[in-house]
Amino acid sequence: MSRKKRKSRPTQEYQDAELNIMPFIDVFSVLNTFLLMSAAFITLGVIKVQVPFFTNSEDQSKPKRTLEVKVDAQKDKIELTTSYSMAPIQPNKQTFAADDNGINQLHEALVRIRVDNKETDLVTLYSDDDVTYEQVVKVLDAIKVRRENDPLFISDQADEKELANKPFVFPKVVMGSVIL
Amino acid sequence: MASAGSSSDESISLNIMPMMDVFSILITFLLMSYSSDPVIVDPKQGIELPGSMTLVGLDEIPTIAVTKTDIFVNANQIASIVGGDVPESQRSQGAIKSLYDELIKLKETNDRLAEAQGQKPKLGSLVMEMDKSHVFKLVKRVMLSAQQAEFVTFKLMVDKNSE
Repeated sequence: MSRKKRKSRPTQEYQDAELNIMPFIDVFSVLNTFLLMSAAFITLGVIKVQVPFFTNSEDQSKPKRTLEVKVDAQKDKIELTTSYSMAPIQPNKQTFAADDNGINQLHEALVRIRVDNKETDLVTLYSDDDVTYEQVVKVLDAIKVRRENDPLFISDQADEKELANKPFVFPKVVMGSVIL
Repeated sequence: MASAGSSSDESISLNIMPMMDVFSILITFLLMSYSSDPVIVDPKQGIELPGSMTLVGLDEIPTIAVTKTDIFVNANQIASIVGGDVPESQRSQGAIKSLYDELIKLKETNDRLAEAQGQKPKLGSLVMEMDKSHVFKLVKRVMLSAQQAEFVTFKLMVDKNSE
């Protein structure tokens, strides 16, 4: 008996579509490795200071009565001295502890000075020989870096040079101890 | 007859989606924190930089690195440090003689370059990379040596993250 082949109806089969993500994982792994190898986990910054120097050029500016601000970092205390370059000199001295709290108070005092004397932008920093470099940098931070709640010390019509000093309380620091 | 051990042909699938999630997040954060700073500086081994709140970044000028044991100018070892200070034999008038000699060479090169470009020679700048445990006496010696060689502006390298 011949068996009649039944005509099969076209069946609709659903197949699971699979995405081969192995190459994707390979790329991710390699990328991860290189990024981790080249990642810089410390962010470097700079604090700009100057040392005193002698110059032959003639000072053309007229003598003006300006406020001189001096900070003296010692092992156990920090002294802040202000005086005017011409009479009446009005000397003033404040002393702060050489700890984090004292450094914050120093910063607040410096901000007050800067608010009252916008044209004064320079501080002379003195330091004793036995003060650590870490402590000196902390004092420099207190002098230079404008904190979140500090006022801006630039005018409304600030030029490019003035705008560059926006992140600072006192943009210029001279290391007064570094002299022969 | 019962088989001793049934060998199943079931395929085991590993769920790699959580791993992919972790990878994606890691890559996102690494790419976000990837430094776009044009100046790449590797601090010398053995230097622990002091922390700071400064916002100012680095630029390309000569670097003095003062580790706990040595002083380097760029990559060259210039002087040694014993007991937190430069030995007396390497000092002259409070400054470090070999450092002064090296910086004078740099200054002369800078001046020749400025002259060739038709500019006036100007006072130099240096990046100073120094361990935070050093005392100011050593900072002063380094700065004094540089000052004598007409480098008067210092960019003190600090770690912005540690504050």
